[in-house]
Amino acid sequence: MAYQLYRNTTLGNSLQESLDELIQTQQITPQLALQVLLQFDKAINTALANRVRNRVNFKGSLNTYRFCDNVWTFVLNDVEFREVTDLVKVDKVKIVLPHSSTTE
Amino acid sequence: METSGRIATTPDALDFTVENVEKGLHQLYYDPNIENKNLAQKWLMQAQVSPQAWQFCWALLSPDKVPEIQYFGASALHTKISRYWSDIPSDQYETLKTQLFSQIACFSSGSKMVLTRLCVALASLALNTMPEVWPGAVPEMVRVFQEEGGGVDGRARCLALLELLTVLPEEFQTSRMPQYRKGQVRGALGREWGSVCPLLQQLLRQGDSPGAVKSRVLRCLSSWVLLDVPLSESEGLVEDCFTALPDPELFDTAVEAIVNAISQPDSQRYVNTLLKLVPQVLSLQEQLREAVQNGDMETSHGICRIAVALGENHSRALLEQVEHWQGFLALVNMIMFCTGIPGHYPVNETTSSLTLTFWYTLQDDIMSFDCERQAVYLQVYRPVYFQLVDVLLHKAQFPSDQEYASWSSDEKEQFRIYRVDISDTLMYVYEMLGAELLSNLYEKLGRILTNTEQASSWQHTEALLYGFQSIAETIDVNYSDVIPGLIGLLLRININNVQLADTVMFTIGALAEWLADHPVMLSSVLPLVLQALGNPDLSISSVSTLKKICRECKYDLPPYASNIVAVSREVLSKQIHKTSQCMWLMQALGFLLSALHVEEILRNLHSLITPYIQQLEKLADETPNPSNKLAIIHILGLLSNLFTTLDISKQEDESGESTAPPVKTAPLPPGPNPVVVVLQQVFALIQTVLSKWLNDSQVVEAVCAIFEKSVKTLLHDFAPMVSQLSEMLGQMYSTIPQASALDLTRQMVHIFARETDHFPPIKALFDLVTSVTLSIFQQGPRDHPDIVDSFMQLQAQALKRKPDLFLSESLDVKAVFHCGLLSLKFPEAPTVKSTCLFFTELLPRCSDVPPVARVVQENGKLLLQAVLEAIGGGSSRSLMEQFAEVLFSLNKHCFPLLTVWLKEALQAQGFPSTRVTTEQKDTFTQQILRERVNKRRMKDIVKEFTLVCRGLHGTEYAAEYCL
Repeated sequence: MAYQLYRNTTLGNSLQESLDELIQTQQITPQLALQVLLQFDKAINTALANRVRNRVNFKGSLNTYRFCDNVWTFVLNDVEFREVTDLVKVDKVKIVLPHSSTTE
Repeated sequence: METSGRIATTPDALDFTVENVEKGLHQLYYDPNIENKNLAQKWLMQAQVSPQAWQFCWALLSPDKVPEIQYFGASALHTKISRYWSDIPSDQYETLKTQLFSQIACFSSGSKMVLTRLCVALASLALNTMPEVWPGAVPEMVRVFQEEGGGVDGRARCLALLELLTVLPEEFQTSRMPQYRKGQVRGALGREWGSVCPLLQQLLRQGDSPGAVKSRVLRCLSSWVLLDVPLSESEGLVEDCFTALPDPELFDTAVEAIVNAISQPDSQRYVNTLLKLVPQVLSLQEQLREAVQNGDMETSHGICRIAVALGENHSRALLEQVEHWQGFLALVNMIMFCTGIPGHYPVNETTSSLTLTFWYTLQDDIMSFDCERQAVYLQVYRPVYFQLVDVLLHKAQFPSDQEYASWSSDEKEQFRIYRVDISDTLMYVYEMLGAELLSNLYEKLGRILTNTEQASSWQHTEALLYGFQSIAETIDVNYSDVIPGLIGLLLRININNVQLADTVMFTIGALAEWLADHPVMLSSVLPLVLQALGNPDLSISSVSTLKKICRECKYDLPPYASNIVAVSREVLSKQIHKTSQCMWLMQALGFLLSALHVEEILRNLHSLITPYIQQLEKLADETPNPSNKLAIIHILGLLSNLFTTLDISKQEDESGESTAPPVKTAPLPPGPNPVVVVLQQVFALIQTVLSKWLNDSQVVEAVCAIFEKSVKTLLHDFAPMVSQLSEMLGQMYSTIPQASALDLTRQMVHIFARETDHFPPIKALFDLVTSVTLSIFQQGPRDHPDIVDSFMQLQAQALKRKPDLFLSESLDVKAVFHCGLLSLKFPEAPTVKSTCLFFTELLPRCSDVPPVARVVQENGKLLLQAVLEAIGGGSSRSLMEQFAEVLFSLNKHCFPLLTVWLKEALQAQGFPSTRVTTEQKDTFTQQILRERVNKRRMKDIVKEFTLVCRGLHGTEYAAEYCL
């Protein structure tokens, strides 16, 4: 199963905007738009899983966490992100993670 | 061509007859004109779903037709059965079934693709009629195909039956049926397994079954186990799969079937079966070793998949079977063998990476036991994990220089990724093994570096350091007592290779936090880093390491500061590093200088930046051209990056927090901040540069960046420069308006507008940029969405921080309001967002800023119309929340007016969309007016209404849209 959370990214939003426009001008049907969106989910999930190995480390204090409907949510306070050379401090971070065993 | 011409010209007028379909297919396959092909395709799709399809599909299947035509017939049949089932009267089910059976029998020795399609069609029929109408579907299928007759030989009938049985569960998985029906059919299919299983077993065990049949049996099994059939019931078949593994013809399908069966989530319930599988898997070790020896990657990969599937899915269940611990341990060792499979990834092998997740799972399962049991397991598995570390570090080793040079860039990248995965695994393993892991690595490193008899390879040393770095990078190694020794060893390494040198640098960088607590060791590592700084091959690793050290250890670096600055100056002047590394280096120096006394900072700053100032002076005199532009931007960038991290304000609080001795605290200096001193000195020069480059947005951006970064770090310390900068910004913007100038203005408004002393210059600047921007709007703002965006953000900021700015007589509030209306219709989403923000900040000011109240009263209806137009389909759907916020704000702050405006605006026919009825508009109005407290609800109402306006309401597509 491909997760849909990447629809809410710049790329995903732009795609949906274009699909909306095509539907409104009756160039494609909503069914076809849905197929495109599902294909996007598949493609982006695969690409992110297989093609990206950039690493960012971070630490902070865990405020709350939950595991609901196969999705982990962590809320962290006072988080420091470290990339190769950069350090970014953030007061509050929310991490949403679909459980990996169901992505396969 | 005559026929293609007919379909191409009048596609709709053609009847869906056999003849026309054949012509259409001919056109689809053979017409050279792509447009004709497309037309034919479209027409055929219509034909396929037309009521006539029920008639022509049978005719198309006739034996005298070519397979392409027969295929279309079968495909149309499947489409009708799966999607238009309700077309068929129930008294015809039986006839349809019989016809399909006889067609499948005919094609069992005919075209394979037509046969498959027909099987799928019959499967679809079975799924539609199970379990009530056709209770014993599978036994009937088996019986029909076992009957002799029809002139078709037994083997072909058997293959056709297996094909049918394979596609049945597949068709179930892909079919779209309601949830309740899905459960029902799944249950019915599960019961059918009772008939399928013995058949498959019989075919697989028959000595005289041909390979093709056995292979089809295995595929059929794969298909059925995905339905979650109980592992205990498929146990015998899975065992048979193991016996099929030595047969190369059956190997792949057998592996697939075993892995599918083992990986079913439900299979963990059948512990006894799983226990029986362990020795089966272990018995493959001989075959595995042989395959590895012969370089047979396919076979080793397949066997590894089986071992990993069992280990990864069932480690918890198998660990719990304490009396069988030896069997499981043997399985773990088998997987270890796969992890350590000889050769380099990805060139000689690709199997080892399959195993990494298993080690996480096993560790998680062990660590989740209660303390007592965990201790017992750890006794057995700690040594295993230590061995794993050795294996992984061996696999992480670079190949010989010569071999590595022969790899393609793609292979090198794969290897890098593989090493990152190993690094992640090591980091996780550390959680289990703890500090002992570091001591273990340290001992090994010590042994190879101090062994004088046998020279070790650089690859070995590099891998051990890589292991260290993987752990130290993310885990606090403060309590490990081997780090001082490690640093001692680092100094002994004969660095004769770039990869090794890189890893040495990254390891030092990973220890930066540790060095902050043990500053005495700085004197040992700094020379190494400074030396590496001069090597362009080590650019990224050395600069990033220096930056980490400067950031973490700045209070301990003053004794080394002049040396670091001197080396940095030299490498910068020799242009050893690329632009981005130069910027990092400046940030490092900013950290470094922050901890010095003011005089020291100024002295170092001068020595560091004087050459650049001189160069900039020279460049400012030259006639603008592309190459001196790059040089100017580079120098301005260096200054911005330096000022981003040069922050003396933190000296007090940070050193107060730490346990460092008070000696380190530089007293907060009286007088201006050194950054301000430098900025004031270069201010005139920057103005000169600007005077020549005012047209160039990149140079203007670079100039603004210097001040933006400085303001961000200096905050109120920047005060002495407010009036100077305001004046310069005003001049810049009125000559050539640029978005970056507006962004800087916004930041100044944010920090200084509330301060009485600074209000006059800020107000003057605000009035000026506003009036300049208004004139842009008069000339047509469409070419400047970035300026409009920044302008709206500035206005919103002003309304938020200092609404008094809107009381000024020189500010044309009405014109600003109208600019906002225009900006709402921009296609650029960020601009529209900023504009919505502007209006949501503006409307609450109706109560305390009279000019705002006046403008809203007179022009608010236009705003409402613009918002409704956007919701009606004029703007992207992702912006609906922002428009809902504006509506909410209107409702909260201008309720009586909104009531009237809404009524008037929505009266117009076809507004905001032709798709909404008057009733729908009325409901929307009522809902909006009712919602004055709950913003979330308002957003939902708007989202709902926008779907109706766009004709998307109720579509599955809109339901899937998650914003």
